[in-house]
Amino acid sequence: MGLLVLSGYYSSDSIRYAHAPTLSLPVDSTLYFIVDFKDDISNDTLVQTRSQEGYPISYSRSIRTGVCFDNKCRPLDITLRWNLTGRYLGFELPEKEFLSKYDHDPFSEAEYQRLHAILTDSLSPLANFHYNEIVPKADSTYEKVDAVSGATSASVLEHVVEGAAFTTYKLWHLVYGPARQQVEALTSRALTPELIQLVLNSTHPSDKIWALNHIDGYVKPTPALQKVVVSFISDQDYNLTERALNSINSNDLQSGALQSILVQKIFETKYSTQKLLLTKLKAVPKLHKEAYSLLNQNLTKLNGQLIAEILQLFIQYQISDVETYRSVSALLASPNAFVSGKAYAFLTRADPQDVVVKERLTVYEEKHKGKAIE
Amino acid sequence: MKRRSALASLGSISLGVSSKGFLVKEKEEAVNDFYKIKKQTLKTDILVIGGGTAGVIAAIQAGRAGKKTILVEYGSQLGGTTTTGGVAFPGIFFAWGKQVISGIGWELVQEAVAMNDDTLPNFSIPHGKNHPRHQVRLNGQLYAMLIEEKCVQAGVHIRFYETPTKITFKNNSWTVETMGKGMTTEIVCNQLIDCTGNAFATTLAGYPILRETVTQPGSLMFEIGGYDFEKLDLNLIKEKYQEEIKKGTLDKYEFRNNIIGVLKSRGDNISHVMGADSTTSESHTLANIKGRASLLNTVRFLRTLPNLEKLKIIDVQNETAVRETYRINGHYEVTQEDYVTGKVFEDSVSYSYYPIDLHDEHGIVPRHLNEGVIPTVPLRSLVPKNSRNLIVAGRCISSDRLANSALRVQASCMGMGQAAAAAAVLAHTHGTTPLEVPFSELKSLIESHGGIVPGLA
Repeated sequence: MGLLVLSGYYSSDSIRYAHAPTLSLPVDSTLYFIVDFKDDISNDTLVQTRSQEGYPISYSRSIRTGVCFDNKCRPLDITLRWNLTGRYLGFELPEKEFLSKYDHDPFSEAEYQRLHAILTDSLSPLANFHYNEIVPKADSTYEKVDAVSGATSASVLEHVVEGAAFTTYKLWHLVYGPARQQVEALTSRALTPELIQLVLNSTHPSDKIWALNHIDGYVKPTPALQKVVVSFISDQDYNLTERALNSINSNDLQSGALQSILVQKIFETKYSTQKLLLTKLKAVPKLHKEAYSLLNQNLTKLNGQLIAEILQLFIQYQISDVETYRSVSALLASPNAFVSGKAYAFLTRADPQDVVVKERLTVYEEKHKGKAIE
Repeated sequence: MKRRSALASLGSISLGVSSKGFLVKEKEEAVNDFYKIKKQTLKTDILVIGGGTAGVIAAIQAGRAGKKTILVEYGSQLGGTTTTGGVAFPGIFFAWGKQVISGIGWELVQEAVAMNDDTLPNFSIPHGKNHPRHQVRLNGQLYAMLIEEKCVQAGVHIRFYETPTKITFKNNSWTVETMGKGMTTEIVCNQLIDCTGNAFATTLAGYPILRETVTQPGSLMFEIGGYDFEKLDLNLIKEKYQEEIKKGTLDKYEFRNNIIGVLKSRGDNISHVMGADSTTSESHTLANIKGRASLLNTVRFLRTLPNLEKLKIIDVQNETAVRETYRINGHYEVTQEDYVTGKVFEDSVSYSYYPIDLHDEHGIVPRHLNEGVIPTVPLRSLVPKNSRNLIVAGRCISSDRLANSALRVQASCMGMGQAAAAAAVLAHTHGTTPLEVPFSELKSLIESHGGIVPGLA
């Protein structure tokens, strides 16, 4: 990948559709990267705009290729833009240039908007269409043939600009093809905890997920970033919660304070989130006393399955203090046989010598005498 | 009692795997000099019949609520349609940006996703008209093992290879006779949960059931490979396919008249086995044979075409998955109108979220719900009329055909399974029947185990 730095230039007198980038910072410089896009388009340059702080703001690629129909060809001359997270931002045509359909009619305003909407949809079914479905007749020239409406199946037409099926298809795959991966790779090289924090402030859900996916293994989280990450752990958004927890690695989890925050959240959230939090606690290198004390103090607030998982945690981390044994032994009196059975199995395995615990075990055993058949 | 022996008998693993905690009596009866049938009588609080999508969740819920629970499954593994049927994309758990089906079902799905290093769809981004965007894909065989482990951990006694032959209600208890390999079993329970999907236990217990004249086709899930889709001449393939249909060597309904779909999906949820019926061993055998025969026939045809000469079958599920058979005649029938308007009932126990999704001989055109609509399941629709100590969960819910085409989807069945079991648990605790349990207690029990109960505004 080559690199050339030039000052930024942006023409504004052209057909242009764009979403706002995540970072609304002024462009300070423009960098040019030579990239292997793995396609037949001659332009191999990915353009990156940067802020004064050195943060990537957006990327663009100018496309010049041919789209042919009725044995006549028109060049497709368009610039595609991406956000620093790889999200599609928009397209721009050179001055006096326009997009046209198979009948040579230029795109209407509504058709440009439809194209922009289709390109915005990262999950479009176009991802799963193949060239030979867009242009049903197999032909060595099919890659440069725009779809004739009559030959394009109804299932394809639903997802393209009518009369410009191949143009739509081609552009969608350019937006979500190797260029997008290159964009993400280039941004990854420039990541800092501060930049991640800025992206986490985005109003776009996919930006937040992207940022959370680019913490572990990319940056060393600062306390400020960690605080923001932890703030995403709630019942409000399952994906953000799951990704936020995923971004915390075992090194971060050495912190007793962080462990305590995660444990505290168990008592503030609902089951789906509680399960994720407990799963995370299984990955800590060592469970700190303040964390398991908090679990002990609140055991009875949880349902049987969560209690069972916490008891597994205690076994995993070899928690063997009297406080733990006593709080678990209180569960022997639970009216829920599942809970009392789990507590009994845990304590029997540990075989504690504390008098209070032993007494409770004796009471439990007396109560269940004759019920177990062995 | 020695502590070690107590551990062995009370510990979750022994309780789930062994029948000893449930055994009342056992004897062997000689059939001839060389073969004996084992006859057992077991007693339990709750019996779940059918270890499919809903039954597994129901059994785990009952076990975790502290009830002695037995789960009877006629096959060799749990999970039903999700696992044996291979429809390992269990519906939709999130609607309009928020979770609507949680609890035990979601716990199992999430753990299977995590253990397979799969990625969840972003539920914050609306699925629009393309609801499969919010489907979660599972490794079906991993899921089957995980749910079995969860049942065992919950103390559920699983009985594979058994099917009920007689069900009677006497002295506030059900007696269910089952037959399995080399044994017959009499299971006495206080509460019975029918999760057969076919309302089999309900009808065996003597309650009427309903069925449409024509039911939705089933699907045999498979995987084919050995070709490059981009190199195919799709027009030629379509042309040849239609020729075979005209000759009568292929049936256009078997793959929705969409041979390109077969090649593109590589077998994923494209087969239609018309009239597939899982209610008897004879009818299910027929559905399996029809599904496999059509696949073999179609593969033989495809291998005659250019660039498909090396097409091969990579995998085929063990049985044809079935969409629709019988529904119970419940205290309330959920209608399409209820479903598409998201009606919340005073006794709504779970949500359901899916388009109206009726498959027929022409294929399927899902009808999506309007923005913000989240349908619900009332407890009354899970209880057969005039029954006591009996509740159902799953696709046999009392509902009209169009509502059922959405309610039948796995995520909804999981929500129903948890709710039905919670009602059975409370019915056992209070010595009553599921329809008479205090609703506030039922809501509280479901929620304490992570489920989501719809609330009236």
